[in-house]
Amino acid sequence: MGDGRSGGGGVNRPAWLQQYDLVGKIGEGTYGLVFLARTSLRKCCIAIKKFKQSKEGDGVSPTAIREIMLLRETCHENVVKLVNVHINHVDMSLYLAFDYAEYDLYEIIRHHREKLNHSINQYTVKSLLWQLLNGLNYLHSNWIIHRDLKPSNILVMGDGEEHGVVKIADFGLARIYQAPLKPLYENGVVVTIWYRAPELLLGAKHYTSAVDMWAVGCIFAELLTLKPLFQGVEAKATPNPFQLDQLDKIFKVLGHPTPERWPTLVNLPYWQNDQQHIQGHKYDNHGLHNFVTVPQKSPAYDLLSKMLEYDPRKRITAAQALEHEYFRMDPLPGRNALVPSQPGEKIVNYPARPVDTTADFEGTVAVQPSQPVSSGNAASGNIAAASVAPSRSMPRAMHVVGMQRMPNTGMSTFNVAPQAGIGAPSSGNIPIPRGAAVQAHQQQLRRKDPSMGMQNPGYPQQKRRF
Amino acid sequence: MAANFWTSSHYKQLLDPDKVDVVQRLDKEKGLTLEEFRLIKIHMSLQIWKLALYVKVRQRVIATAITYLRRVYTRKSMTEYDPRLVAPTCLYLASKVEESTVQARLLVFYIKKMYAGASSSDEKYRFEIKDILEMEMKVLEALDYYLVVFHPYRPLLQLLQDAGITDLTQVAWGLVNDTYKMDLILIHPPHMIALACIYIACVLKDKDLTTWFEELRVDMNIVKNISMEILEFFEYCRLDSKGNILIPEDRINAALNKVAAKP
Repeated sequence: MGDGRSGGGGVNRPAWLQQYDLVGKIGEGTYGLVFLARTSLRKCCIAIKKFKQSKEGDGVSPTAIREIMLLRETCHENVVKLVNVHINHVDMSLYLAFDYAEYDLYEIIRHHREKLNHSINQYTVKSLLWQLLNGLNYLHSNWIIHRDLKPSNILVMGDGEEHGVVKIADFGLARIYQAPLKPLYENGVVVTIWYRAPELLLGAKHYTSAVDMWAVGCIFAELLTLKPLFQGVEAKATPNPFQLDQLDKIFKVLGHPTPERWPTLVNLPYWQNDQQHIQGHKYDNHGLHNFVTVPQKSPAYDLLSKMLEYDPRKRITAAQALEHEYFRMDPLPGRNALVPSQPGEKIVNYPARPVDTTADFEGTVAVQPSQPVSSGNAASGNIAAASVAPSRSMPRAMHVVGMQRMPNTGMSTFNVAPQAGIGAPSSGNIPIPRGAAVQAHQQQLRRKDPSMGMQNPGYPQQKRRF
Repeated sequence: MAANFWTSSHYKQLLDPDKVDVVQRLDKEKGLTLEEFRLIKIHMSLQIWKLALYVKVRQRVIATAITYLRRVYTRKSMTEYDPRLVAPTCLYLASKVEESTVQARLLVFYIKKMYAGASSSDEKYRFEIKDILEMEMKVLEALDYYLVVFHPYRPLLQLLQDAGITDLTQVAWGLVNDTYKMDLILIHPPHMIALACIYIACVLKDKDLTTWFEELRVDMNIVKNISMEILEFFEYCRLDSKGNILIPEDRINAALNKVAAKP
């Protein structure tokens, strides 16, 4: 249906695409492209992820299938919402439409590190973490492991009814782990290496939701210190999951793992055959406290160290973490993570997502035919983050040439439509003290904020309309 | 949800029995009878099974594929969606969903092998990779992108364990396999189908499980009704010595020719 597509591009779009006004391209990965669009009807923002037909002649990529399959089943305030799926039978491309999220943790952290030079306020850190755990607890209790949690996959909603609400995105690597058909370990490597759990690095063949909790621990530390906790250099050449440098980075912070603390350690392949002498190398036990900014006796530190527990069986679960003392003391976590609890506190204006307004839905501007495309079936670890957010294969500062910042004012004028599940999150009780008035005030502040222009003085004035 | 049947799309998608075995308008216009419609679905389920043996996928993948096939025909006509192409495509899609991807070219290779040297009518079973890939997208659409399917196998094993009658596993498992020749998976929760199979197995093997069944918090009338349906189905199908369903090939071909796209 609605395949009436001529080769033209922007004008003669398939019928189903006409319900969207394209704003521009916001991301790109091996799987395809991500666009920002507005629904013609409700004027709300939608992120459209376009999957290319895999070159290998193997149809819809397994990544897309997994994402559709899981997101068609999930419904939670802290999990990204798949609002539509479209198929273009002419070029066999597949489009997933999501509620658009303006921010992600990668950009939020980067903004603090590079522009503001001050840490993220405690309320925001705690609210972001609480909501991330809340979404993760939902996934885990439904036997879904995300497997690729990293700051760029944790989205945060922009202005609107869901302002400051965390959405876990990018389910391209996620799995249902109840009765797996084959061991979850595959040839492909899973999870960006900085957030990869030690049991995976040591070659564990069967693993659990604990790998997600390790990633959350790394993200928590990064929210506190603004820099990745374990920045290992990936050994790309090796097809195996053994990453010596990443393990080295972890051991330097947390000390050497011991079979006493982690009994099943001795069964892990790379510990066992130990060709790299990881057993013998001695690490001074530096202690995590030297690397993070929170006091060693604080609940925050306690929670963090429980997430970064070596033994996956002892590692804190999402459900347990939500009950941790850290979340019961002031400031209490809230639904709008971006609005500080203290009335007098400064509100941070995060930059809107860069939008390349020169691209069209076919991606004719952005995608060069010669672009190397690794197949959708390739080892999953090589698939760059297939999230609604712009993806990065490595969370390093990326500057996409030709990308422009959307002027902030333009973005705040339309509201993200309210959606189902606007009530309090399903488990736990977040106090929601901030009313609409505060939000309106905050929006106003945003509009006045000149920081956008100052950060990026060179951005062009014109905005192309589609 | 993905692991909780009661919050899953599978549960929400369960259909009323009278919504399932309905010949689509287009097919009706071509003269396809309800009987023929059923025969084609049984035949295609068996074809999926046969093809799966070649490509070596797990039971679960087969079950998911057949469920897809049956779901498709609650919404789409066989005239527009050629069963001979939909069947292998469902197996292809199911293999991806169940994490044991079978390459399309391998599937095409085995389809050709399966029907090699057979009669001329079998040529209609031969497709190219491109056909499967195009149909994959159409099937995805027809399924409304709901891909997670629950099956009776897991509850079956748990229930047999609980009842302490694991010696009936083989019989009951075989009965569950047989239920995929029917549309039960579109109508009833998988654990109810599992219970019906256990019920029949008990009758066949002379085991008295009345107390155990009574202690379960399920509506035994539904379990008995499902059991009756399964038994009626067995009576309806003539079985050969190995318990395989015998469908006269000419009847299948006559039915398939009615809905064949080309005149």
